[in-house]
Amino acid sequence: MQVKFQLVTYDEELDKFELDDNVYPLELDDEQSETYELLKHVDLHLYDWFQKSDFFLNWIKEEIYPESIGKKFAICDINETSFRRFYFFKLTSGDVHYEYFKKLFGIFEESEWQDREDVGKEILKDLLVKRQELIIELKEEVVEDEI
Amino acid sequence: MDNKYLNKMLLEMDKDLASKGMNRRDAMKLAGISSASFMMGGATTAQASEEEIVKTDANGRILIVGGGLAGMSTAARLTLNLTNPDITVIEPEKLSVSYQPGQTLVAAGIWDIDDVKFNRDDFVPDGVKLIEDKVIAFNPQENYVTTAKGQKVEYDYLIMATGLQMDFERIRGLEDAGRAYSAGDNTKLLNALGDSICSIYTAEGAAKTWEIMQKKIADAKSGKKTKFVFTHPNTPIKCGGAPKKIMYLTNARLKEEDARDNAELTFYTNGGAMFGIPEYHDAVLGQFKREGFKWNYRHNLIEVQKENKIAVFDAKWQEKGPWDPIMNEYEVIPKHEKVEVPYDFLHISPAAIAPREVRESDLGSAGGWVPVNKETLQHFQYKNIYAIGDIAQVPMGKTGGSVRKQYKVLVDNLIAQMQGKALPAKYAGYTVCPLITDIGTVMLAEFDWTVKPTPSFPLDPTVERWMFWLMKVYALKPMTMYGMLSGRA
Repeated sequence: MQVKFQLVTYDEELDKFELDDNVYPLELDDEQSETYELLKHVDLHLYDWFQKSDFFLNWIKEEIYPESIGKKFAICDINETSFRRFYFFKLTSGDVHYEYFKKLFGIFEESEWQDREDVGKEILKDLLVKRQELIIELKEEVVEDEI
Repeated sequence: MDNKYLNKMLLEMDKDLASKGMNRRDAMKLAGISSASFMMGGATTAQASEEEIVKTDANGRILIVGGGLAGMSTAARLTLNLTNPDITVIEPEKLSVSYQPGQTLVAAGIWDIDDVKFNRDDFVPDGVKLIEDKVIAFNPQENYVTTAKGQKVEYDYLIMATGLQMDFERIRGLEDAGRAYSAGDNTKLLNALGDSICSIYTAEGAAKTWEIMQKKIADAKSGKKTKFVFTHPNTPIKCGGAPKKIMYLTNARLKEEDARDNAELTFYTNGGAMFGIPEYHDAVLGQFKREGFKWNYRHNLIEVQKENKIAVFDAKWQEKGPWDPIMNEYEVIPKHEKVEVPYDFLHISPAAIAPREVRESDLGSAGGWVPVNKETLQHFQYKNIYAIGDIAQVPMGKTGGSVRKQYKVLVDNLIAQMQGKALPAKYAGYTVCPLITDIGTVMLAEFDWTVKPTPSFPLDPTVERWMFWLMKVYALKPMTMYGMLSGRA
């Protein structure tokens, strides 16, 4: 099966993400497809699986960002599953993102008594940490492909 | 529990029941609860009162900063659990253990202020050392605190139970009101509020509320169109239901005097709903409609013009903004404007703030509250420090009902830590709001972090009941004062 990726690149100096407009299709084998089907409804588990998979990292190094050791990037979308709110959330983002992050970061119902801005600032503070977990750095060592 | 108090309370309750043609036994049957659980405020409490406490010989100097309900109940429970307790409480206010949940009843003339005043010294557990002083500096790196009288108090374990302050002075026009604690002398605050503004958030303020309310009800009764305005601020507050309770009680007193037709009651809340729990929100909204109340969401009181009797609110709303091509959505643009509202009677629920000495110490978070793991109540950075009650940065935790669950968790975890064990207990966010909706009815709103009703009784929790009124007026105070403050309930 084919999975389409969209990526963001990370500029460490500016601490900023930039959308890579390209859509990159990746062909998964049967076993990978099965795992994908299992994880596709649990967004951060799906992310984690690709982030830690040699086949994915090798594909990025060899075909997407060749000769880019040290480059930092993150996954923006995997088919219909989007992670772009992690990189581009701002105080004026839609309510759906507020609800998502309130659940993820355990920001509880006192938000009912708070300004949207207060909750947004708390989300941005939590995102500083979360984003670092999502950033992938292309490293020198050759990764053995298990396939 | 004090038997004399209990008998008096039961006598008063029996009189109330008799006026409705019912005896206590029938009333309990009607409520579907046992008298034991009724007396103790729910099945879970009744079970707690019967639990077996096993003493341990864990050692350590425990310092509790703050001797209100949270601090003193924790001290009491520690003395029950430790063979050789070494506990010190620092508390400057003589009336620190006063019964805050009763302030709504004082404000509606149902109780007298003396019914909620309790002397701290009568509730210091045996073996606990009390220092009548105020902590002005914390040194968590070296495990000591400094008091206003210059005393240095060292500890092995610190429990933060300082409570919070009501920040009236942030409202323009009330700068002279300062910041207030619930108990004690609040003359400065009352002078600043004057004769048309009130707040039940201090004990003395509650008594003054009743004075002002009676005058304004008399005005309405005399035929004057009278505007009653009630506020809810933009910070977490003690007992989030209280701003509405005083509105319901004002409404009840107006109806009693046949003055309701001349009164307009309006609720201005900073929030976007009546209650954070959808089921209770729906119920409260239904009650508001039934009683003919008006309401406005997203309004935060920022100024009062006392001479002209105008309350100024910061009103907020959202508008659709430009298209965000990366997020694939329209942005949400916050808008706000000042709204002037005339009043004859203004009840303020003030913003809450952590005391300065906590906010400015290494223990406080950016927002001032003490950052603790919300389940274990242990400080994130300093593992020998815990926080409980109003000062703890715990969601939905600023009620006596929350403290009733928290103090047992804290004691279990602290003793485990003293024994070198993993922390075993977790707070799940339980809180309770006996929402008075009339004189004689209460909706017992219980909930936790699941954001769902968690009723202790096998009854629809969104229904207003006379039985819960009886519980609120007669049973919760002895349960608190003689159950919790002895470390058992």
